[in-house]
Amino acid sequence: MTPFPFELLMNYLLVGAALMALGMLGFLSRRNLIVMFLSAEMMLQGTALTLVGFGRYHGNWTGQIFTIVILTVAACEASVALALILILFKRRSSLDVTLWNELRESTQAPFEEPTVEEEAESVAPALGPESYPHLTRAGLEPAHPTSPWIERRK
Amino acid sequence: MLEKRDLILAIAVIVLGATGTYLMLPHRHGSAKPRRVHLIGAVLAGLALLLFATFWRAPASAISSLFFYAFSLAAVAGGLLTITSRNPIHSALWFASVVLSTSGLFLLAGAQFLAAGTVIVYAGAIIVTFLFVIMLAQMEGRAPYDRAARAPGRATFSCFLLFWALFYALLIVRVAPHPKGVAIDTDNERLVRSGEIASSYGLKADHPARLISELARRDTLRMDDISKRPKPHVAGLGEALYTEHLISVELAGTLLFVALIGALAIATPKLPIRPGDPRPQPLTKL
Amino acid sequence: MSQFLAHNAWLVPFFPLLGSFIVVVAAKWLREQSHLPIVAGIALSFLVSFSLWMVAGPDVTSPAIEWLTISGFNVPIQFRLDGLTTMMLAMVTFVATLIAVFASGYMAGDPGYPRFFALIGLFVFSMTGLVLSNNYVLTYLFWEGVGVCSYMLVGFWHSKPSAAAAAKKAFLVNRIGDFGFAIAIFWLWSASINHDVSYGNVLSRENLDQLGPAAIMGISFLLFWGATAKSAQVPLYVWLPDAMEGPTPVSALIHAATMVTAGVYLIARSTPLLVRAHEVQALVAVIGCLTALLSATIALTQTDLKRVMAYSTVSQLGFMFMGLGAGVNNVAQLAVFAAMFHLFTHAFFKALLFLASGSVMHAMGNVIDMRRFSGLRHRLPITHLTFAAGGLALAGFPLTAGFWSKDEILLALKHAAHQAEPGWGGIYVAVYWIAVLTAFMTAFYTGRAYFLTFWGPEKLPSPQDPEALAEAVDEVDHGSSHTEHDHGHDAGHGHDGHHVGQESPPIMTYPLMILAVCALIVGLIFGPTGLFEHHLHLTLGYEHLGHLEAHGADWLVMLMGSLAAILGLGLSYLFYAHRSPIPAQLAERLRPLYLASYNKFWIDEIYEKAVVGTTLLLAEISAIFDMVIDAIVRGIAYLPRWLGGAGLAPFQNGLVQFYAGVTAMGVAFLLIIVLFWL
Repeated sequence: MTPFPFELLMNYLLVGAALMALGMLGFLSRRNLIVMFLSAEMMLQGTALTLVGFGRYHGNWTGQIFTIVILTVAACEASVALALILILFKRRSSLDVTLWNELRESTQAPFEEPTVEEEAESVAPALGPESYPHLTRAGLEPAHPTSPWIERRK
Repeated sequence: MLEKRDLILAIAVIVLGATGTYLMLPHRHGSAKPRRVHLIGAVLAGLALLLFATFWRAPASAISSLFFYAFSLAAVAGGLLTITSRNPIHSALWFASVVLSTSGLFLLAGAQFLAAGTVIVYAGAIIVTFLFVIMLAQMEGRAPYDRAARAPGRATFSCFLLFWALFYALLIVRVAPHPKGVAIDTDNERLVRSGEIASSYGLKADHPARLISELARRDTLRMDDISKRPKPHVAGLGEALYTEHLISVELAGTLLFVALIGALAIATPKLPIRPGDPRPQPLTKL
Repeated sequence: MSQFLAHNAWLVPFFPLLGSFIVVVAAKWLREQSHLPIVAGIALSFLVSFSLWMVAGPDVTSPAIEWLTISGFNVPIQFRLDGLTTMMLAMVTFVATLIAVFASGYMAGDPGYPRFFALIGLFVFSMTGLVLSNNYVLTYLFWEGVGVCSYMLVGFWHSKPSAAAAAKKAFLVNRIGDFGFAIAIFWLWSASINHDVSYGNVLSRENLDQLGPAAIMGISFLLFWGATAKSAQVPLYVWLPDAMEGPTPVSALIHAATMVTAGVYLIARSTPLLVRAHEVQALVAVIGCLTALLSATIALTQTDLKRVMAYSTVSQLGFMFMGLGAGVNNVAQLAVFAAMFHLFTHAFFKALLFLASGSVMHAMGNVIDMRRFSGLRHRLPITHLTFAAGGLALAGFPLTAGFWSKDEILLALKHAAHQAEPGWGGIYVAVYWIAVLTAFMTAFYTGRAYFLTFWGPEKLPSPQDPEALAEAVDEVDHGSSHTEHDHGHDAGHGHDGHHVGQESPPIMTYPLMILAVCALIVGLIFGPTGLFEHHLHLTLGYEHLGHLEAHGADWLVMLMGSLAAILGLGLSYLFYAHRSPIPAQLAERLRPLYLASYNKFWIDEIYEKAVVGTTLLLAEISAIFDMVIDAIVRGIAYLPRWLGGAGLAPFQNGLVQFYAGVTAMGVAFLLIIVLFWL
């Protein structure tokens, strides 16, 4: 086997630390549930890198076995998280995580994100030789139940 | 201890990286044009990344060095772009690059099976995520919550503080010199050494730390066999997995199964209750 | 036999307690019969006490029952049955029986009838326990017990503000004395052999010999301090006249015959200790003399019959202390016998006088102001005669009870003047002459009260009396009648079917008659025959007291006492029997003196200003200090409230990312701490 000195291990650890920190930053600052999920996966990637490096440094399989377990957990997390995102989106028609803040002190006013004045940027219509007809909406969109599920159960 | 040059460089990495990332995160900086700010942030972050790369030591062979630098840079840059992209689709694509780069790094560390596994698993995950984004994200334009990060300054500060702590901790690590003055280079010597440490501390035979160090030296867990030749990769991993970590494998399987059931239970569409619907009858009526 | 009786001494306090318990439990069914268990209990208690009289001896004790044991400090429940104790027991239970019978008539119809008798039973329990106890701690316990009973009985009509105030005053003033007593016990404990505070140990010769002079003087002084409050001596006598707010039987039992003599009993009990501190003995004599003179002076001008009796009680207690104080060197035995004999006779005639006053009050529809009635001797013949008997005894008319005992005290004082330490004799000479003067004054005010009430033109109280009207106006002015003239509406108990100006029912007059006979002859039976002296010889530590070789009757002293009594009574006859104008002229001529006496030398007002005012000032200062403390405490209490409310609540904002961010920051800080500081 090719030698794997301490300096090489250090490389892996540094890159793993960077990925881990960036993933946490994403998790903390991004409000899109899907991006938060991706950030969490990135943290796992950084950890996996570290473990593989250590395993190689010590010349045994344990690091890789840990990583396999991490992969399993990541897969489980992905399935459950995406299912949850689906449900949450159905409830609020939005992927914004700040809308979910019921788990707070009862005396505390709900968090208000400072409103962004500008409207959603419109996507420029695709220019090309063919242009597809823009369909107008058929009738009004039915009202989504936006009240919390606790109230709707009554 | 840490040399002064290294320390200055490390601080520069942290400061530049934090500033760049902060500028790149999606939110408004006063009346400045977002695109320009983004560009400045990207330059700063790139600078930090290059400085960060100076801390890496090139492997012995040139090919390995090339691949290592390419994968590492791609991984970190991809991670940066994943979290700063305003469009979730771009985020997902950049995350794919992170996964691929990580797999490359796995290959370089001699973990071929894992590299393949990661690509396969995450490819599936990424595709599903992609579908979700297309399905859920408003296609009329980018949503307000994608254009305004939540408390970016505070988040950047705490994360880079954590990164600084990890970075510093790694930089000050030095390998202890061999007592006989001989450089420890081979894996086997390292393992023998860890066993010596355990016995030199006078640990009892049934002490947990002693047991763990003994475990690390078992033949089934070693990457090379008795005659110091490397084991065939998948066969070696499989041997370790199904002898020493059999219960972990079983547990992992169970976990996957439970997660499958959970996901189904959560995500199964239920009939929405709308105002005017007949109320569901209480079960006591039965 | 004697062993058997001594072993059952616990029955004496037990019977009244049992009666009290029965009344408390069965008050609902007993109602108007509530006096029965108490009268029966006290009477049984008297029988046991009387039989104990026979077995008395200096070292007769009941078996000890373990009570308090604190690492070497051992206080058992144990009774001592020596001469002093059995004498007190017999006297207390006898008087209490008669008073309980009287009260069953006097209190009839009162809504608090069962409560009254339950408290009387509790009081007799405490009082008998107090005199039976064989150590200072147990005595202290019962000492407090009688104090509590006194408090509750003075404030028996607690809805009346003056009664409540008087009860409070009595209790608080007594606390001052209890403080001294408690310190005396602590000192005794630390200084005595084996830290044993039983009488047998403390008053033994070995123990007294090993006590230092400072301890002897300090403990004696502190014990006397405790006695001044309980026995109403200067400067702590002020509570006793106010205590007359209680029902009259209570005044008779507690504030004349028994409880107030507890201080005298304590000093008499500790006489073997006190004779070794002749300075304290002199102090006792001087204080007693001062009290006797002061209160006799006040009694001269009071118009309230019960109040005259109250000051007379204070004055007679002063006499007892004079007697105790005379116990120097060889006079010690004579002095303590004299004092205890006066205590003994005083209980009879003073209880009689109070009960007779109660009978007058009962007949006058609760009016007790002597200006509002007169010439009652034909309307209330039995009351008149019994009051006269009591008055003669109090005045010390020859051959009555008071004559013998007062004579003994004067004799003791006279001997003390000769036998005292060099340089101290003068004090006793002065005390002796003041005592004679006081005896004269005693006879005078007794006669005055008697003649004003029972002689002169017949007059019954009517609402048109100027005094009644003034009183009514007074009450409107002040709202709460805290003044001394409010016995007019004293009793909250109704007298349904009873007509003003008629003699009291037999249940009240029979005890009066028995007591009257006692007041006349008890001195003759016990005094000159030496019966009392002989019995008191059987007291712990008394045989070692110094005694005179031989003392016969001193004719000069007897003559002096008789002269004072006859002169006093004669003068009062001259002044008041036929309503001569001389007293008014005298009062006019000596107006400042008269006013001082009438207003009780403004002692209450001075105390109000000096003591209460100072205390209130101190309380004000403390209140300010308390505010500072409160502010600090509130501030400390506010801190967690602020932390939990305004301080930390914003952190619980429900945002997942905020929580995760805090976690991340925590991990970072921990890592940095581990890196740089550990």
